[in-house]
Amino acid sequence: MTEAAANKNHNNTRAIRVLVILSFLLPLFFLLDLLIGSYYITISEILKAIFHSENANSQVLLIINQFRVPKAITAILAGAALSIAGLQMQTVFRNPLAGPYILGVSSGASLGVALLVLGTGGLLGGSIVSVASSWGIVAAAWIGSGLILILIILISSRIKEIMTILILGLLISSAISSIVNILQYFSNESMLKSFVIWTMGSLGSVTNVQLAVLLPSVLIGILIAFFSSKFLDAFLLGENYARSMGMNIRFARMMVFLSTAILAGSITAFCGPIGFIGIAVPHIARMALQTAKHSLLVPATILIGALMMLVSDIISQLPGSEKTLPVNSVTALLGIPIVIWIIIRNKNSNRL
Amino acid sequence: MIHQQPEKIIELARTSVGYKGKAKSDKVVKSDISVYALKGELVAIIGENGVGKSTLLRTIAGFQPPISGDIRICGKPISRYREKDLALLMSFVSTEIIRVSNLSVFDLVSLGRYPHTNWFGKLLEEDMNMIEEAISSVGLRGYENRMVNHLSDGERQKVMIARTLAQNTDIIVLDEPTAFLDLSNKYEIVHILHRLASDKGKTILFSTHDLTTAIAESDRLWLMLHESVEQGAPEDLILNGNFNAIFQNKNIYFDQEKGDFRILKQTKLTACVTGEGLPLNWTIKALVRNGFEVVDSANQSTIQITVNYPHWTVTHLAELLKFDSLLSLCGYLKGLEN
Repeated sequence: MTEAAANKNHNNTRAIRVLVILSFLLPLFFLLDLLIGSYYITISEILKAIFHSENANSQVLLIINQFRVPKAITAILAGAALSIAGLQMQTVFRNPLAGPYILGVSSGASLGVALLVLGTGGLLGGSIVSVASSWGIVAAAWIGSGLILILIILISSRIKEIMTILILGLLISSAISSIVNILQYFSNESMLKSFVIWTMGSLGSVTNVQLAVLLPSVLIGILIAFFSSKFLDAFLLGENYARSMGMNIRFARMMVFLSTAILAGSITAFCGPIGFIGIAVPHIARMALQTAKHSLLVPATILIGALMMLVSDIISQLPGSEKTLPVNSVTALLGIPIVIWIIIRNKNSNRL
Repeated sequence: MIHQQPEKIIELARTSVGYKGKAKSDKVVKSDISVYALKGELVAIIGENGVGKSTLLRTIAGFQPPISGDIRICGKPISRYREKDLALLMSFVSTEIIRVSNLSVFDLVSLGRYPHTNWFGKLLEEDMNMIEEAISSVGLRGYENRMVNHLSDGERQKVMIARTLAQNTDIIVLDEPTAFLDLSNKYEIVHILHRLASDKGKTILFSTHDLTTAIAESDRLWLMLHESVEQGAPEDLILNGNFNAIFQNKNIYFDQEKGDFRILKQTKLTACVTGEGLPLNWTIKALVRNGFEVVDSANQSTIQITVNYPHWTVTHLAELLKFDSLLSLCGYLKGLEN
């Protein structure tokens, strides 16, 4: 083996070691997340419920199967999906503060939900609770983010300059937020409250049936990201270099935008807008692996994102108490210090 | 003797470059460009800021279509190439400084293999060898695991050149590769380019403001003037006076005898200098810088200076003064001007 090849392998060993450690930590935190909640359940009961369900206490079984397992799986999916979406946006826009929602996907979703919760409530007069429950909200959010995705892809096929797309995405987001504000302004208290609760994010409202839709959506988004890892590497040097190396810019952009919108859109639809995980995790992955190669960063970001979200969920349960916190506040309080650190570090000229 | 005409790797025929606008509002930056480059030539593109060097390079690299006329790469119009096929023929280095943290030299150079590898960018043995060879041929062996954003500007530019070598293309296009570099790095980079052209038969096109290195190392210049674009060996363009046309209406001219650049100064006073060797040459330079015209005869001059290194004697209006450095002499001369 040549010297350069040996060097390269040496370079990757750190990344692979980190990936191995992360894949051991993930099931550990998954179990920990199952353990914690307002009803006290021991580890042996949990293990029994998972592996020998016929012998388990029926109430424990119900709590584990209907509540805690779907919530923990949702946490893993949400963390992985938002982080991968953030990684792709940071790379494509070459901006360390880009995140999964930068294309306006989440504002599209929130407009959908706002129209459903606040708008139809106004028309039908009060019967919103049933309309707005689960599937209705999911569908509204999905339609909203899907429309934004189509808009962004239309724009990106016409506009060459990537920074223009970024600015347009931000402007579209702001415009949509103002529409949502108007809707909020004209809605009554109970409708407002159910909308505000949706914006706080929740992992616990996803049922097993809904997971059957969320899981494949996230897997498709992640799969596209895996297939885009060579594109993403080239995007690191900017679009001119990428094109000079033979990349089809429009196709690559579309793959990345599609993946980001599916991931961010699905999570927003089922869990509400969950902030900061998507911005912070890709940076943690880069620091931990000391690499910029996306074939390694994509799996690492998935694992770290899932871990971060499990930790956020555990914290939001306020272990030892009956109360819970909105998960969006927890991810913000965990993520913001990391983002601050990025900004401070960035002053020393690093961009990504 | 008739020798075989070598292949024109890049050929522009009455090409206009610029930015396409909506119907008939094209912004033409430079029109009627007819130049070419042969296999194995190092071609420097020279011209003032704003004359369209970058636009021309971007058009040749295929980032934007020509407004009119044709660009042929290896005999085929550039518009008929797909991105991937062009990437196998031509690689590009822009003026932009790459600042990606956690990107190692090896990984950046390996990106050059992009058009050669599979969908996931898997590097095979052949790719590895090519990357290794590219890194050593710019003199960066041992730098493989260094992070790109910890390199100096000169080293980073070498990495970017190594990336084009890994891409293994017959043509390399570089937009001002020496712009941020200090003098020794400028020479080194241009020399590397020269070597790649002559040893490996690559056709290398680069724009530069550094005329001295361009004259010393390139086989052909494309001289972008306001009215036209001229080409030729650097020496041809100096002899036929085209070179001076770069500096139209500017207080700079190219000294054809000495082979360097001079700034035209309004001379107010005259001096007659006697002395010999290097001290005399540098004293004359100092006088020119201070706005003196150096004349031969003591009768015509305002002052007379005798160089007897490390002492200078100045005769001015029957006054005799002695100086022991050019700095103090210049200080005195500055006082005379006013």
